[in-house]
Amino acid sequence: MEIIEKITTNKLVENQTEIQKICLHKLKLSPLPNPKSEIWRLSNKSKFSNFLDYSVNEENLKFDTPYPKNSQSTIRLIIGENCQIKLIEENYSIHQLSEDELDKYIKEQISVFDQNENWSDLLNLSLSCKKNILGLKINGSKIPPIEIFSHSSSNSFNAKTLVIFLEKNCDIELLQVNLGKKDSSLSQSTFCVLDENSSLNHGVVSYGETGSNLLNSLNVIQQKNSEYNLGSLHFKFNYARFEINIKQSEGNAKTNIKGIQITKKDEQISTYTKIDFNGPNGFLDQINKSLADDKSHAIFEGSIIVPKIAQKTDASQLSRNLLLSNLAQIDTKPQLEIIADDVKCKHGATISQLNEEELFYMRTRGITLAEASKLQLSSYFQEVISFIPVSKDRWDLLDKLLNEN
Amino acid sequence: MQSQMKESDPILEVNNLFASTNNLPILKGVSLTIYPGEIHAIMGRNGCGKSTLSKIIAGHPSYNITNGYIKFSGENINSLEPEERSQSGIFLGFQYPIEIPGVSNLEFLRVSTNARRKFLNKEELDTFDFEELVKEKLELVKMDQAFLSRSVNQGFSGGEKKRNEILQMALLEPKIAILDETDSGLDIDALRIVASGIKKISNAQTGIILITHYQRLLDEIEPNYVHVMADGQIIKTGGSDLALELEKKGYEWTDNFVKET
Repeated sequence: MEIIEKITTNKLVENQTEIQKICLHKLKLSPLPNPKSEIWRLSNKSKFSNFLDYSVNEENLKFDTPYPKNSQSTIRLIIGENCQIKLIEENYSIHQLSEDELDKYIKEQISVFDQNENWSDLLNLSLSCKKNILGLKINGSKIPPIEIFSHSSSNSFNAKTLVIFLEKNCDIELLQVNLGKKDSSLSQSTFCVLDENSSLNHGVVSYGETGSNLLNSLNVIQQKNSEYNLGSLHFKFNYARFEINIKQSEGNAKTNIKGIQITKKDEQISTYTKIDFNGPNGFLDQINKSLADDKSHAIFEGSIIVPKIAQKTDASQLSRNLLLSNLAQIDTKPQLEIIADDVKCKHGATISQLNEEELFYMRTRGITLAEASKLQLSSYFQEVISFIPVSKDRWDLLDKLLNEN
Repeated sequence: MQSQMKESDPILEVNNLFASTNNLPILKGVSLTIYPGEIHAIMGRNGCGKSTLSKIIAGHPSYNITNGYIKFSGENINSLEPEERSQSGIFLGFQYPIEIPGVSNLEFLRVSTNARRKFLNKEELDTFDFEELVKEKLELVKMDQAFLSRSVNQGFSGGEKKRNEILQMALLEPKIAILDETDSGLDIDALRIVASGIKKISNAQTGIILITHYQRLLDEIEPNYVHVMADGQIIKTGGSDLALELEKKGYEWTDNFVKET
C-alpha cells in the first residue's frame, strides 16, 4: 500500500495545497477505513490493497477518448486536460469556479466529513492536484448536454475531482465517463449542488480495462423543488466502489436513481448509497441492479434515512440481482431508517437467475440459447441504460455490454 | 383408425413415450402418429399430461425422456435442442404465453422468423421487408400494428397473447403446430378469430394438435381424431364424436380407467 505509506511519511505530494494538507492530516490520523464498518466490511482486502499500490503519476496523461467523436451539440471536458471553459450564451452560462469559491466549498465539505463514510473523498482530495479539480457554475436553460471524462493512465494512480453548482431554475444533462486504463487506479470524487427548482439528469458510466480499479464517490445536495435523476453503469473493473451520498437538505425534492453494476471473472464491484431526507415531502425512486458471473462479487448496500423532520416522505428502493454462475456472489442490503411517522417507504431485494421459462419460450421460436440469453440480458440492462442521459444517441452502451458479456 | 394405410409418411410419430421430471414419471407410454393434413385433439383432465406432452415434443429441458422416441419427418428428435426443433418446423403455442419485458415484439418476431427461414434456405428478412410480411399476417388474427412496438406479450390481454401466438405460427409456417389450450381465456369473438387464423394457416402439408378441455374450439376446427389422456397415457382415441361424448359424460370415467390400470 504505497500510497498510504507515503501519506503517513508525508512524502507523497509536493507543493501541497491547503486542502491537500487538511485531508492528508485527517488521513494520517486514520490512514485506512475501518474494515469492520458497514460500508467497508465486504470490501475485498487484497483488491483494495492492490488499489492503493500504484504511484501517483500526473505525467503522460494524454489520452484519446475511445469514442464517440465529439459533437458540436455536446460540450466535452476532460478533467486534467482542457479544464478551461467560459461560455456565455443567450440562454445560459457555464463558468469555471474560482479558486476561492472551490476552496471555500471543499473546506466546508471536509469539515463535515466522516472518516469512514468519506474516506474515499479524503483520499481523493489529498491527492487531487489543482489541475485535476474542475469546478463549474451553471445557470440558464436550453444548455447543450455536457460530457465530462476522467481517466487513469496505466501503472498509475490518478485522482480527479469535479464540483458542479447548478443555479436556480437551471436544467442540464450531464454524462460523466470514468475510464480505467490497464493496471491503474482512478479516484473520482464528484460534488453536485442543485439550487432551488433546478434539475440534473446525470449519467455516470464507468468501465475499465484489465486490472483497473476505481473509487468513485458522488455527493449531491438538493435544495427544495430540485430534481436529481441518476442513471449509472459500472463494469469491467478488477475492483470498483461507487459511493453515492444524496442529501435533500430541506426535503421537497425529487430523486430518481437507476443503477447497474456488472461483474465477471474475479472482479468485485460495489455500490453504496445513502439518501438523507432532511425535510418533508421528499421523494425517492431507486432501483439498483447487479449482474454477477464467473467467480465475481457484486455488492449493494443502500440506506434511506428519514428523520422526524422528513414527514410525508415517499421513498422506494429496490435491489434486483441476477446471478449467472454458481461461483459468483451477490450481497445486497437495502435498508430504511425511519423516525418520522407519516411516511410511505418501501424496499425490497430479489436475486434470481436467467428466467428459464422465458428462455424456453424464445428457444421454441428458433432463437438459440445464446441469443435468447442475450435478449434477456438486453431487456435487463435496458431499463437502466435508457435512463442514462446523452448516451442514448452517442454511445452504444447496450451493444458494448452485450458484446462484452 | 390410426392403423389405416396412409399415402404419405407421418410428420410426427410419438412412440411409447415415457418421460419424467425430477424423477417423477409424467408420461407413461404415449403413442401418437400425425400425418400431413390431419388435425388431432387431445383432451383430458388437468394434470393428465397433455401440456407435458406438448412441452416434451417442443424440447423442454426440464423433462427427461426415459423410454420411447419422438420422430419428426422420420428423424428421431429426442436429443434435439428446442431451437433446432422449432427451426425444423415444430411449433408450440403456449397455454400461458411468456412476457418478456424490454424485448420488442417486432424484433422478437423477426429474429424467430429469420431463424426458421435460414433453416429453409430462404433469404433472411431485414426490418423493412419483415414489416411488410408481418402486416400481412396481422390481418389473419386481426391484430393492430401497435402490438408490434410493445414488449413481447407485456401488457397484452389474455386474448391478445393467444392471437400473438397464432401470429407467430403464421410467420413460422410450421409443419406441425401444437396448440396448448389456445382457447382458454378467449371470448366467443376472439375464439372465432383465432380459429379462423389457425384454419387459414393449416393446409394439406401441415399437422395440428389441439390441446383443449372444451368442445367449443372443436366446433370451429373439426378434428380428424380425438384422443383422451389420463395419468400420462392416451386411453381412448376416436373421431370428433368422442369430443361430443366427453362434453356430455365429463371426465369422471377416465378416473375409473386410471384406478383399473
